[in-house]
Amino acid sequence: MDDIINLILKSVFVDNMVYTYFLGMCSYLAVSKKLTTANGLGIAVIFVLTFTAPLNWLIQENILKEGALVKYFGEQYANVNLDFLQLLMFIAVIASFVQFVEMVIEKFSPTLYGSLGIFLPLITVNCSILGGSIFMIQKDLTLVEATAFGFGSGVGFYLAIVALAAIREKLKYSNVPKGLRGLGITFLLTGLLALAFKTFIGMSF
Amino acid sequence: MKFLRNILDKQKPQFQKDGKFENFHYLFEAAETFLYVPNLVTKKKGAQIKDMIDLKRMMMTVVIAMLPCLLFGIWNVGHQHFLAIGNSASFLEKIIVGSKVVLPIVLVSYTAGGLVEVIFSTIRKHPINEGFLVSGMLIPLIMPPTIPLWQVALATVFAILIAKEVFGGTGMNILNVALTARVFLYFAYPSDISGDVWTYYGDKTELISGYSGATPLALGATTVDGTNTDEVVSLFDQYSATINQDGFYSLINMFIGIIPGSIGETSTLMCLIGALILIITGVGSWKIILSVFIGSYFMSFIFNLVGLNQFMLLPPEYHLIIGGLAFGAVFMATDPVTAAQTETGKWIYGFLIGILTIIVRLFNPAYPEGIMLAVLFMNVFAPYIDHYVILANKKRRLNRATV
Repeated sequence: MDDIINLILKSVFVDNMVYTYFLGMCSYLAVSKKLTTANGLGIAVIFVLTFTAPLNWLIQENILKEGALVKYFGEQYANVNLDFLQLLMFIAVIASFVQFVEMVIEKFSPTLYGSLGIFLPLITVNCSILGGSIFMIQKDLTLVEATAFGFGSGVGFYLAIVALAAIREKLKYSNVPKGLRGLGITFLLTGLLALAFKTFIGMSF
Repeated sequence: MKFLRNILDKQKPQFQKDGKFENFHYLFEAAETFLYVPNLVTKKKGAQIKDMIDLKRMMMTVVIAMLPCLLFGIWNVGHQHFLAIGNSASFLEKIIVGSKVVLPIVLVSYTAGGLVEVIFSTIRKHPINEGFLVSGMLIPLIMPPTIPLWQVALATVFAILIAKEVFGGTGMNILNVALTARVFLYFAYPSDISGDVWTYYGDKTELISGYSGATPLALGATTVDGTNTDEVVSLFDQYSATINQDGFYSLINMFIGIIPGSIGETSTLMCLIGALILIITGVGSWKIILSVFIGSYFMSFIFNLVGLNQFMLLPPEYHLIIGGLAFGAVFMATDPVTAAQTETGKWIYGFLIGILTIIVRLFNPAYPEGIMLAVLFMNVFAPYIDHYVILANKKRRLNRATV
């Protein structure tokens, strides 16, 4: 249990998807103008990551891994390694899952659906989702750990995007130099926020 | 004082529109309002402003509140210097050595930052930002006395430029300017701002035997990995005994602040005097200061109960006075621009700073001092906290309203 909590805390703060790996920047920058939208996207990312990580883990372990096919087709498949299909499979899983989430949100919260607009389908290509799955494989986690890791990474992304969104709402009252307005200042901000997130780097819980 | 007014009045037309030095209008304005309260009168109709306390005077109050820390810091740098090299010295000698170290840092920080400030205000045609009065003073106070001057200049320029001016100046920044300067140095030149840098030795290399310049936090951090099972308090005593200064790291000595550390942060007592000034004049929020202390006390109390290593078992009251916690709570966390703006938000904000400080201290061996990063981290989330406090407020009032 300690390990799981440790892993979650680590993936939220230490290995933050946005501020440590700089993944998922596109939606992070594009959907952070308003806090309510950012909130919705953040929660969607938590949701998607928590479920795609274990799903992809199952696929990796049971189909793609070297020798995984043995239990279905017998010994002659011991040397078959389908790792090269990893990217393809993971994206397919993520895409179908996002489609599913989209339908759920459309049904239950049309306002949120309206405000997320194009960005919900774009989660499919959100690098932090795919990154979550690939990191999870690299780290050699178990199924439970993979779920925890996915959840933690999602929360990390959520924290990053809502913090930025709240700041950007406040930034409306700032007098930013003309050339920097919009994305320019947001990139600078991201750098500064990453500096603040360095609080946790090297921390061992 | 009349002649000063006369000079200003005489020069004024030159700096106004179509005058010779029109471009430097804001520079002149800064000097004028710095010396005299602006003679604005509010309009007959609409809101009336009775008090002429403007940003400049507010910021000056903060600078005044920092003076005890600065003066004590100057003496303490000298005191630690002579302590380390084993000479006894008079009060005056200590002050002289301290001034020699501290004043150049203050000067560099004000000059470098002031330059950026003036360039920006002249080009962007906005008044010179008063906030710089405070940042320029805060930066030296959170630097170790051995910091190279060029680094002070670099950090100040970086902080003023990236953390403040690009957002439009005082009142619009997101992160605390002084802390950004320190964090910048911390990550850019770690060797100059961590380890054995807290005492100024001058050109003396002959230190008294056993002297390592270890701060209480550094001593505590040695027990984190669990190999050292001595009580941290007894480590303090041991260290005090090795350098022949009984009670060097005793509770009372650390409270007064006669210990190595950043220039202005060692003395909890002086910080509290500063806090008193800030609270009485209404410049700083007592809620934040109090909740930072409560938060860190609470968290260290919890870790006392957990007690995985000796550093966790350190009595909570020690945590309040070692390191820069008091300084951070009084001068950094209360920064009205970057702190939470709502009243409930202030409690949450301060409390989380306290909690985070202790967590960083106990769990992050890379950074012995937690308050710096804790405040910065909460700066990031202050707008988020505010947003939800306001939402909750709205909801409560909507519920109360009967239409």
